Formats: sequence, C-alpha cells, structure tokens
Amino acid sequence: MTESRGADLLRAEHLTRHFKIGGMLSRRTLHAVDDVSFSIGEREIVALAGESGSGKSTIARVLARVYKPTSGEAYFEGKPLSAIRSRRDGLRYSSLVPMVFQDPFASINPVFRVQHGVLRILKLHRPELSAKQRLEEAARVFGVVGLSTDMLGRFPYELSGGQRQRVGFAQALAMRPKLILADEPVSMLDVSIRIGLLNLMAKLRDEEGVSILYITHDIASARYVADRLIVMYAGQIAESGPIEDVLTTPKHPYTQLLLSAVPDPMAPLSQVSDHGEPPRVVDPAPGCRFRWRCPLAIDTCSAVTPALAELEPGHEVACHIAQTGAEVRAFAS
Amino acid sequence: MAMPVSGVPAEAPAAQLPAGHALARVGHAIRSNRKATAGTVLLVIFILVALFPGVIAHHSPTADAYPPHLGPSAAHPLGTNAYGQDLFAQVVWGTRNVLIIAFVVGLATTGIAVLIGVAAAYLGGGWDGALGVLTDVLLVIPLFPLLIVIAAYAHGEGTIVLIMAITLTSWSYTARQLRSQALTLRNRDFLVAARVRGERNLYVIVMEVIPTMTSLIVASFLTNALYAVLLSSSLQFIGLGDPNTVSWGTTLYWAENNAALQTGEPLWAIAPGACIALLGAAFALLNYAFDELGNPALRPVRRNKRVRNG
Amino acid sequence: MSETDEILEVSGLSVDYVLAQADVRAVDDVSFTLSRGEFLGIVGESGCGKSTLLFAVAQLLAPPAHLAAGTVTFKGTNLVGLTDAQLSAIRWCDLSVVMQSAMNALNPVKSIGAQFKDALKAHGKPSKEEIAARSAEVMRMVGIDPVHLNSYPHQLSGGMRQRSMIAMAMLFTPDLIIMDEPTSALDVVAQRALMVQIKELQQTYGFAVIFVTHDMSLISHFSDRLMVMYAGQVDELGATRAIFDRPLHPYTQGLLEAFPSIHGPRVPLKGIPGNPPDLAMVPTGCRFHPRCPHALERCTVTAPDLYPVDGDLVRCLRRKDGSLPDDPGARVAKTGA
Repeated sequence: MTESRGADLLRAEHLTRHFKIGGMLSRRTLHAVDDVSFSIGEREIVALAGESGSGKSTIARVLARVYKPTSGEAYFEGKPLSAIRSRRDGLRYSSLVPMVFQDPFASINPVFRVQHGVLRILKLHRPELSAKQRLEEAARVFGVVGLSTDMLGRFPYELSGGQRQRVGFAQALAMRPKLILADEPVSMLDVSIRIGLLNLMAKLRDEEGVSILYITHDIASARYVADRLIVMYAGQIAESGPIEDVLTTPKHPYTQLLLSAVPDPMAPLSQVSDHGEPPRVVDPAPGCRFRWRCPLAIDTCSAVTPALAELEPGHEVACHIAQTGAEVRAFAS
Repeated sequence: MAMPVSGVPAEAPAAQLPAGHALARVGHAIRSNRKATAGTVLLVIFILVALFPGVIAHHSPTADAYPPHLGPSAAHPLGTNAYGQDLFAQVVWGTRNVLIIAFVVGLATTGIAVLIGVAAAYLGGGWDGALGVLTDVLLVIPLFPLLIVIAAYAHGEGTIVLIMAITLTSWSYTARQLRSQALTLRNRDFLVAARVRGERNLYVIVMEVIPTMTSLIVASFLTNALYAVLLSSSLQFIGLGDPNTVSWGTTLYWAENNAALQTGEPLWAIAPGACIALLGAAFALLNYAFDELGNPALRPVRRNKRVRNG
Repeated sequence: MSETDEILEVSGLSVDYVLAQADVRAVDDVSFTLSRGEFLGIVGESGCGKSTLLFAVAQLLAPPAHLAAGTVTFKGTNLVGLTDAQLSAIRWCDLSVVMQSAMNALNPVKSIGAQFKDALKAHGKPSKEEIAARSAEVMRMVGIDPVHLNSYPHQLSGGMRQRSMIAMAMLFTPDLIIMDEPTSALDVVAQRALMVQIKELQQTYGFAVIFVTHDMSLISHFSDRLMVMYAGQVDELGATRAIFDRPLHPYTQGLLEAFPSIHGPRVPLKGIPGNPPDLAMVPTGCRFHPRCPHALERCTVTAPDLYPVDGDLVRCLRRKDGSLPDDPGARVAKTGA
C-alpha cells in the first residue's frame, strides 16, 4: 500500500535522551535513545517495535514531554517542542498528543469513578464546555470506544482490563487529538481481548482521523493495525518502512531475529539459537550495537556505527552489510 | 514490563464493596466485620459518655461533698475516694478530656504528617532532602524525656500544652511512613497520566495521591489517637498534667498519691485504668478492621465447610 | 497408559473463594491425569481459574480460597489433607513451582546463590561443597554462568531471572514442575529462548510439566496435551496438534481465531465478543452460551459434561451430537512467507 506523504504531523530529528545512572559521583550515562529520526503522517498508524531496553517507551515519554531530549528536536505540525514554554502552550500540545498507558490496572486512579479522568480532561482542555456538555461529551467518547454510558459511573475495579484500556482511549479521544501515543496498550491484556482494542485503534484512524504511534514488542499485532513499522534496538533505529515490506523482506539481522521468534502455531518451529539478552546501553563505544548477537558481523561493524540509509523507497536500514546490497539472511523465519 | 501481582491468583474476586455513597459503604464494612463492629460500638459509647456526662453521672466529679472511702452502691456505682469525691462521676467526666486529646492529637499529627510526608515524596529532590532532615531530627529525639521536659516547663498549663507536646513529638514517625508509601505511588501510571494531561502539582498531590492513601492515613490517625491516649494518661499519671483537670490520668495520679491499691480502695485505680485500656482497645480493633477491609487476604475464613474427599 | 506411567491424577477438584456476600466457585470439578515426562498446557483467559487450579494442585491455596472438593493424587499419595510437614517432604524434591514473575518470587535482598542454599538446606544437610556444586550445576543447565550466583535478582535481566527460577526449581530434579505463566514478563526473543530451554531440559531430565498461560500460540510447539479452561471449567482437553488443527469447542475456535499472524494474508479478526462471566453469577446451562455463535435453546438450559469426541474431551452439547454447522475441518498449515 503506497502511503501519501503529505506534510508530516510529527517529525523527530536526531532525538537523543540519556540518563545519568549510579550515585551522585558517578559519571556513567545510560543511552536510552540515540540519534533517532522518523516521521508520522496524518491518518497513519506507525508501530514502534523492539524489546525492553530498546528505548521505545522513552521516545514516547519524550514526545509526551515527560522528559526533555538531551539533544535533537521533535517538530509537531512544524513547530518545535522546545518552543513550548507557557502552561497554555503545554496544555494545547498535550491535548493534541495524548498518551495511553500500558497497565490497565495502574493507569486509572482506583478511588474515583472512571468518568473522573475524562471529565477532568474536558475541564482542563475544553473549558468552553458547560458541565452538562462535558457529561454529554464523556458519554460520546465512551460510545466511540465501545463502552456503554452506564459505565461512566462505575469504579475501575468493576471493569475488566480490556474495558479499562478503552477508558484510556476515551480519555485520549476527549482531547480531540491528532496523534495518540499508545505505549504498549494491549500487552497486559489477554490475547483474545487484544483484537478488540486493535480494531478500535484502526477505527480511530479511519473514522476519527487520528494518527497513532503504536509502541509494542508484539510484531504480529503491529502487522494487524500498522501502516509502517520502525524496529528499534538498543536505543537506535535498526530498520523502518512500510509494514508489509519490512515483514516480507526484512533487511536488518535483528528484524529477522524478531520475526523468527514470533510464535506461530501454524508454521513449523524455527530454530533460534539466541538467548535473548538485550543490551543495557551504558557509555557505548562506536559500532553497531547488535554486533555481539549478529552472526554476520564483520570488522566494520565494531568500528563504525551504521547510519540509517534508504535501500528501497521508504524502506531504511542501519546495517553495513545490508547497505552493501548483499542479501542478509541471519536468522531463518 | 510490570505485571499485576499479589499473593492471590488473578481470579480472586475483588473486594466487592457495594458501589454507592461512601458512607453507606463504610456502614456496610463496619457491620460485616466483627472487629470493626466491636471497636465502633466501644468508641461510640465513649463518645456518647463524653458528650453527655451530666446525663449519666448525677454527681459532680470535683465536689468532695460525699462521705469518703465508700464502696460501690446504688448512689455511688464506683464508690468514693479518700477525698469524698464520687469516682463514677470522675471517670465519666474524665472521658471528655481524654477523647479531646485523642482526636485533636490524632488529627493534628496525621495532618502534619500527610502534608510533609506526601509533599516530600512527590516533590522529591531538594524538597525531599530538607523536609527529610526536619523529620529525622524530630524522629531521633527521645520521645518521653522530651515530653517530660516540655510538660515540666509548662507545668500547670494543662491540656493544650499536653496536646502540643505530644503532637510535636509524634508526627515525624507517621510522616516517614506516609512518605514511603507515597514514594511507591510516585511513578504509578495514573499519576504520570495526570501530569501528562496537564494537572498542576498541587492538584495531583491533593486530589490524586492522597485519596489513594486513605487506608494508611486512617490507620495512622487511629494509631496516633491510641498513643495519645496512652501518652497523655502516662504524663498525667506522673504529675505533669494539670492535676486539677478531671481526666483518667489525673485520677490515677491521685489514686497513686493516696496509695489506693494498698489502702483497700482498688476501684480508684482500676476504674480509670480499665477505661484507658478499653478506649485503647477500641482504637486498636478499628485499626485491625481497616487492615482487613483493605486486604481481603487477611480476613478470617469461616471454616464451615469440610473438605470432601471424592 | 499404564498405571505406573501416571504421576498425577486430579479428580473432581473444586476451589471456592469465601467472600462476604457468597462463596464463589473459581474452579469447578476439574479432572485430568498426567503421565511421566508429559508436557501439559493449560490455557484460558484471565479469570478462567487456571492459576487457582495451579495453586490448588500445589497445595498453595490461602484464605479466602479453599479447596472445596476433590483429590490430587501425586505418585500415589493424595496431597489434599496432608500436613505441612508431610507436604514439605514432597515440595521441591518431587514437585516444584515456577511463579509468574521472578521479581516477586525471588527475595530481592538475597543473592541467587543464597536462595539456592536455602532451598537445598531445607531438604537435607548438604555440605558447603555440595551446595556450591549443585548450585553451579543447575545454573549451567539453564545456560547461565555460575558467577551470577553472587548477583541479586535486580541485577539480572528479566530472561535471566526467569531462568534462574527454573534452575531453582530443578535443584532436586523433581518429577513434576508446575509453571504459572513464566514467560509473560519477557519479550518475544527471550520468551522463545526460555520455551526452547524448558523443552530441552524436560527431554533431557524427563520431568513432567504443567504450564499455565493465556497465550495459546506460545505453547503450540511445546506441549503434548492442551487443556482449555473457561469460567472455572475444562472446555476442551486433548492432544495439542489435534486441537490446533481441528479445534472442537466453539470457544477454542474463537481463541485460535483471535491471534493475528505475521504470515499469510492480512484479514480482519473479530475475537470473541463479550466478556468472560462473573463467577459469582455464571450463566445457566452452558457457561459459554452468551458468547457462542452456535448456541441453541437447549444450551441455555442444560449444562454440558465433558464428552469424548474424536479422541478429545469437549464440553459442548452440539459437538457431542455432531450438530455444529461449520465443521472446521483441517486447518491449512501456513508455511513461512
């Protein structure tokens, strides 16, 4: 499916976020996100996939302005995030780019009824509404996400995990967003419940015109809803492109590893000899961060950090061997 | 990636408090738990006695107008003491003083502890450091000697000083506890969600953090009230309160002064002592009950079903 | 299956949660057997009773849960009703448990080695050399360098923590290891590595495994038999491949269709509409009928038993008399694209 790349809704350029770790006297830095650049268009679901420690959640929090980037910049509708200074601008941005969280049990305050979050949001971000209009709007967004209006008055413990995640999406919708940052929204739900939420995300893209940055470690669910896929490893982008292209012809060895590890009952078991130890990237040396797990690593991989290069239209890879044009077959899938 | 965890499997049905008005839920909770019922009944009795002492005891507690050394009788249910005062009236009228101390100290201590402890945890950094120093200094000062010193200097000023002294030395422990719990909550998703949707810090602390700590705050209040009862009675017993106030502790003081137990007037000491114990028990029972309400795993299981071996 | 091959027989097991309002039956009349060296997978959504069942089999139920009925016969002895002293002789030596999240099962303030030592000393009087040797040996079994015996749980990655839990469970090479979703907190590559490791260990040392999960596709290549649970009951029980190729219960069919795949065409999926029932108010008749696309009048009235159909056990009236409209037939095996 060819994507129409009009004006980008969100553009990240060389985003970097480091954390100081250790005690007060330590000088070590954790490179959670290093030099990440990507863009998200309108009406588009972009999946950001990777293992834990890959930096995907950190990117979401940087885009949500929970953290400031150490360097680099993100532009929303052309305007840089660092230009947001006043509380008003901040509120406006957070209403256009809200976040949905992973844990349905921890992301809603348990002592209030589930309508509390939505009503607070409407009060903060759409002050022109009257109390009555707020209730109506709350009922409307609950309906869009598939919850009945009598759930408004319930407490979180009365709702299932799937229903609570829908409340999270309702809260995001109440802000009339352009881009929803969904941080592993279905990972803690039962597999049979995930489909409902994934269908909801597709519906939000198609009917409400919302873009979604879908952060996940489950490639299969990414394939189900996303238009494009960005694969992250150790804080850097390994590969990105239209999702079918990346999944049918993965060019980065790490992408191939991920694909081979996805459980598929209908396919024969692939032999994966990797023990699955993602790196914690502290004060890294230059070079490809995947080289220790890569069966194809050569000398250049230890010396030079591969840059992201476009090998096919829209399909970028950060791998020296792939960039030479050779066929990469590191892990059978 | 966090997983929901507890010792009980995920299928364990949640504590099914009926949704509805908060007071109705509390009422139901009290009725359903034996400890809560007992504690509430005791506390209510004491509160009623404190509110309407004149209705229950017909004699004046301070007037030494009666024949001394009387045993229990219809006119004087607990007899009279060496000064000719009616003991029953003393105990009844003394309830008011004790309860006032218990509630005021409980509320003040818990209030200060909530403000300082939760703010320290949520704001973190320099604030946490400064407030922590303040808390720790007071935490380390030995409590009882400090109380004695304070009360000795303000000897005769009575109940207000007692309340202030106990509050000053008690809040730091609770503040530490509440700070610890607030710290565990600080990075919970719903607080991040509140900040991300644009709430101000003060709003998050007051409206989002503190309501989730209610059970610990209530437990702190009950514990502090209990200790206030015991501490104030102890201070009054060693003569550091105002010996002219009518209170259980001062009654004990006078009983000790007159060697009541040795001179055959045991009720003079036993009656106020028993009241202290009962009021303390009321607070303690309520404390246990709140624990059980909050954590279903602690509730006693009625073993009315024998395991049937198929 | 000869009698001596069978190491576990669960018969009529029911577990109740004693609550203020009423008792809730979380596990209803579950029966199954397990042979030596067999890998049994138990799957179901949250709230179906699978974890409670596991706790019940391992005799780990705590109030307000209690075992209402049934027996758990392990190597000839009924575990129900044994005292703690009798149970502790069996625990860890013949039967061990791997919990869902290692961070919660391991003591965060003790090193891994210290926890192994605790376990070893609880069942005998090993010398220091014996403790060191056995600890190193089980760590190597799961592919961890024994130098990590000195590490604390938080210093290890998630995958290594889970593997050290399995190492701990293997200290006495028990005959049965019970695992409660040990891979849930892991990423997909670590998950795959752990599953392969478990299977290799099982085939080398011959222990039986009961593996509880909510993700059917995860164990599709590893389990010998599969048990599907719903609302506290067993809905389908049979050989794994048979169930995947031809699921007989409508719930199992629904579950299998709720998995998006990375191979094959992209199709919209429906999942199973509705939610699992509140166990305090189960539907009349068949518990699945409100969500079943093939429910008839009699399904709302008659509660089905487990019926043998085509080598499986299925809890479905319509499957029993062959009146289900769409016989799924054989599912086409998808080759890698």
